[in-house]
Amino acid sequence: MSPNVLPGRLLVVDDNKVNRLLLGRGLEQQGHRVAFAENGRQALEMLQQGEFDLMLLDIQMPEMDGYQVLEKVASDLKLRDIPVIVTSALEELDSVVRCIEMGAEDYLIKPIKPVLLKARIGAGLEKKRLRDQQRDLIRRFATAEVAQDMEKSGFALGGHFVEASAMFSDIRGFTTLAESQSPADTIELLNTYYTLMFEAISSQGGVVNQMIGDGLMAIFGAPLPLINHGEQAVLAALEMIEMIDLFNLDQAASHHPTIKIGIGIASGQVIAGYTVGDTVNLAARLEAHTKVAGQMILIDESTRQTLNPTIQVESLGPTLMKGKNQEVTIYAVPIRQQA
Amino acid sequence: MEEQAIIDLPTYEQLKELMGSDFIVELVDTYINETGTLIAEISQAYKDGQAVSMGRIAHSIKSSSASLGALVFSQQARELEMMGKANDLAGAEQKIEKLTAEFSLVTQRLKELVNES
Repeated sequence: MSPNVLPGRLLVVDDNKVNRLLLGRGLEQQGHRVAFAENGRQALEMLQQGEFDLMLLDIQMPEMDGYQVLEKVASDLKLRDIPVIVTSALEELDSVVRCIEMGAEDYLIKPIKPVLLKARIGAGLEKKRLRDQQRDLIRRFATAEVAQDMEKSGFALGGHFVEASAMFSDIRGFTTLAESQSPADTIELLNTYYTLMFEAISSQGGVVNQMIGDGLMAIFGAPLPLINHGEQAVLAALEMIEMIDLFNLDQAASHHPTIKIGIGIASGQVIAGYTVGDTVNLAARLEAHTKVAGQMILIDESTRQTLNPTIQVESLGPTLMKGKNQEVTIYAVPIRQQA
Repeated sequence: MEEQAIIDLPTYEQLKELMGSDFIVELVDTYINETGTLIAEISQAYKDGQAVSMGRIAHSIKSSSASLGALVFSQQARELEMMGKANDLAGAEQKIEKLTAEFSLVTQRLKELVNES
């Protein structure tokens, strides 16, 4: 099996024994542990009893079909985070669309090609791992109230628009950094980095909703509304930079490499629970632009308008950023000097 | 039109290569038993006038048969599936007869293939 896919505990649900055997064999060959259910009712019983990382679900089954299973899973706090991959015939694509609308993560067309099986299972397990990690971090950093609310909402609030601020942050020159030290040191560094960033973000009411390598995305103002989401995002950014400075002092003292980060913040409408939309896109562009501008924190006009006048910003004027075809007025937030 | 093979060899060979010869023996055995049961269930569903049920069972036959390379048989099952979905039992009896006859051929051919290896 591929070294980057960790083995998972999978549940295969199909009323046809031959299909179960085939899928089970393919998955076991890829190193996963597989359990089987013959219909929806049995699948739900097994999900309630055991720990599963992913479910492969057939749609047409006796007793309880795939739709009914998806409905039950979506309304169950304990089961909602288990990614579901629907298996179907090519001519059932309409049903697949319905399943995805009901919360299924992905689909596979039968007869299933082993390469696709491997890729989709890998992606599904990665999602599960991130969700577990996120849940764990939220338990550690968020207030009990927020954590409970997020568990209830399942990190996705039904796709409605809310006013919020999106933040992107990443480590400058991470690849060079990773090459200059052992993998163990890099993992240790990333762990510390994430812990510090989560602390800064959650202390200002933000929620980290995505981590990709050395980058992270956070939302201020969703799922729970924040009145000054823009200002709180900027305050969190300043705190993040301060924490990195302190971290660098430690690193330098122990002769380890120091790091630099760049942060972009944009405010406006975001679709709650989703990492897409113009505001999110602009925040990502701003973060990328910090390198070009030689700044650590860049924000957009809407975020600036939410700021208390005591927070100084410097206008960089209308700027054309990579990937945008219109100029946007952007601002740099100068770093507070240590007293 | 060229006549289609009872078992599409490339599909079968690829499956054997991926899953291993020992596993194929077990798989073919299970397939023959399970499909035999499903065909009996289809006839019963037809006799009971249960079109939807008939369609669902035909759907199941269709998918596992395609995996093993029994493409003609799979296509026949698909026709019954569509009739079931449309809640139309007219002409289903002949189709079930054809399906049963094709299944004998599929069984025979699969047994030959398994014994060859």
